[in-house]
Amino acid sequence: MAQKKKAAKSSKSARKAKSPAKKSARGGMAVAAGARKPTEERIAALMQVPLAVCEKDEDLQTVLNILRNQDEPIELRLAALQVIQAASFSVVTFEPCRGAYIATLREISDDPDPELRQRVLGTLAREKDGFVQKKLLEGLQNPEKALVSPEKALQLLSYDVHADAYPVAREILSKSPNADARREAIRLLAADANTAPVFEKILRDKGETTEIRQMSAAALNSVRPDKLQEYARAIVLDDSEDDELQATSLTAITQFGDQETVANDEALLAHVGELKNKATAKVKQGARRFLTKYGR
Amino acid sequence: MNVELQINNSVSPGARFVSWAPSPCRIRVTNPSGATSPTVNVQITGRSTTTGGVVVFRSGTTGAFGNSLTLAVPINGASVSFFVAGRFGRPSINNGDVTIEARTGTTLVGSVPVMVRVRKNANLLTAGERDRFVSALAQLNNQGMGRFADFREMHRTSISLAQAHGAAGFLPWHRAYLLDLERELQAIDLSVSLPYWRFDQAAPNLFKGDFLGVSNSLGTVLLSAANPLRFWVTDGVPGINRRPFFNTASAPPGLFNEAQTLGLSTQYRLFRNMEGNPHGLAHTSFGGFIFSPGTAPRDPLFFLLHCNVDRLWAKWQKQNGRFDPALAASYDSNLPTGNRIGHNLPDTMWPWNGVTGGQRPPTAPGGPLATSPGATAPGPSPRVRDCLDYQGSLNPISRMGFGYDDVPFV
Repeated sequence: MAQKKKAAKSSKSARKAKSPAKKSARGGMAVAAGARKPTEERIAALMQVPLAVCEKDEDLQTVLNILRNQDEPIELRLAALQVIQAASFSVVTFEPCRGAYIATLREISDDPDPELRQRVLGTLAREKDGFVQKKLLEGLQNPEKALVSPEKALQLLSYDVHADAYPVAREILSKSPNADARREAIRLLAADANTAPVFEKILRDKGETTEIRQMSAAALNSVRPDKLQEYARAIVLDDSEDDELQATSLTAITQFGDQETVANDEALLAHVGELKNKATAKVKQGARRFLTKYGR
Repeated sequence: MNVELQINNSVSPGARFVSWAPSPCRIRVTNPSGATSPTVNVQITGRSTTTGGVVVFRSGTTGAFGNSLTLAVPINGASVSFFVAGRFGRPSINNGDVTIEARTGTTLVGSVPVMVRVRKNANLLTAGERDRFVSALAQLNNQGMGRFADFREMHRTSISLAQAHGAAGFLPWHRAYLLDLERELQAIDLSVSLPYWRFDQAAPNLFKGDFLGVSNSLGTVLLSAANPLRFWVTDGVPGINRRPFFNTASAPPGLFNEAQTLGLSTQYRLFRNMEGNPHGLAHTSFGGFIFSPGTAPRDPLFFLLHCNVDRLWAKWQKQNGRFDPALAASYDSNLPTGNRIGHNLPDTMWPWNGVTGGQRPPTAPGGPLATSPGATAPGPSPRVRDCLDYQGSLNPISRMGFGYDDVPFV
């Protein structure tokens, strides 16, 4: 009997040793769910114990209900999203919760709050979710159905090269609603080697904005880095070129140029030496780094 | 007379790097001319630049360190061993900014430049340190074609993420992952170490065009023209998507600060809940790549975030004496059931073990863990247990060759 009592006491102590963390999680969820509590207090409670979100189904449902409830303060809903997403990093322990989480995100993918909507669409897009890819493509083809701006939609579609977004990106490239959308279209198409000639054309065109030419350079670099080096050289040698492009081109050659080729390029070395003395500050900085690398 | 100094028991320039943990060294006479007895007394000291690293010495594996050491070295060429370490609080800024000198009397008979190389707070790096790190990282990425792609692949799919998250091995796996990346960076530039993003403090210098960039309203990261990360490519797409949900002039709200994190528990099984807060919440303080586990490594910030996570673990280990895997409080073996594969102390870790299929992912990108000229641990296929005693506090052979600017050895 004495032994039994001792074992029971030991077991109770062991349970007690576990309780503070569990108690904190339970208490946190209760505060988070408490509609009458101040929002800041509810947010703070959620932030305390993100891993607890997936420990019990009732806790998961508490947080998902906050997330989907348009009557809840938006700050609280955003915090709920942040906390569940934080929990999702524990991939295996989160697995039982994942289905309900993704379903809730899809449910609120057209939420009236633009910030929440954008974060939800971003989360699903990074999961390569076909449901949201379809919605984003529909929005690009029919602006009345757009859930986010065209540039944001293109950015989100770029998370998956298999999202069938190339055709619509090419359309936007030729007929852009705005400069940001054009830039994001170029970026998305950077994974498509077939578009390399388009990137070259844009990069050569001094009538294009610096930003668009920069993005074309970056896109060309990802499919034809050898070509980018040729263009970078030409841009550095051309004093009528844009400063930003010249500076970026110097960086490209310094970092990624073939060392032997560059070291033997006397025309380039001499010209960069002049740039170091005569050009604008950002070009001078690039020139100095280049010359340091090549011992001039 | 001349002597040869071997740092980390090597003459290789790649081995001339020390941290706070003692590095094994050797000295031997290579030219005994002028010697009049079988041994010669050689005094070893460190000479630092004003802002450079400072080194200290001791003759054996125990005992106090001193600013100098005198050894009786045989003139027949036999080696004498000793130990050197960085003096805590005085890391190097540049490679070779501290020189170890050997003298007989007042005559200099040998010298070797070294670097006290430790991981530092990213917000406090000098421009030179920052630029070298960024340049090495950009070269590792090599416009999307470089070795960085393996590090991206290691942290992509749910089965690969399961090797590293949601169980006890979260911290050891990421320690090995960061070390692997850091050694690859050092193969490009030996002076580079991985900096950490101290996410419980404001880090305005980190989120600038010359470092990890400024985000616009779309979440596109803007970098200065001279920043080689402008050519960053992952998954075939150029650029970095990151949109802070907070003002980057301050710290993200809601995360446990350092004291709160270290105070989670003295037991590893509870301390590792820091995977949720602050680790998970640091990730989800931004929209973009770093918000989701499968895309997070596409953002270079990911590695600085995890470097801080590892620093917190290192600090917790030091605070609580948790380097010994045999001590139950040092790890969570989840007895009697055990953890899933890859999370038990004797388990080797994917991908470095090259094991594929079954409960392991179908491929193992990157091959064995990178080697270092300055340290043999944790080996090409580390076990979970090999990642605890990272400074060789219990067993010098376990020293991995890295340290943190604010976590001492003793």
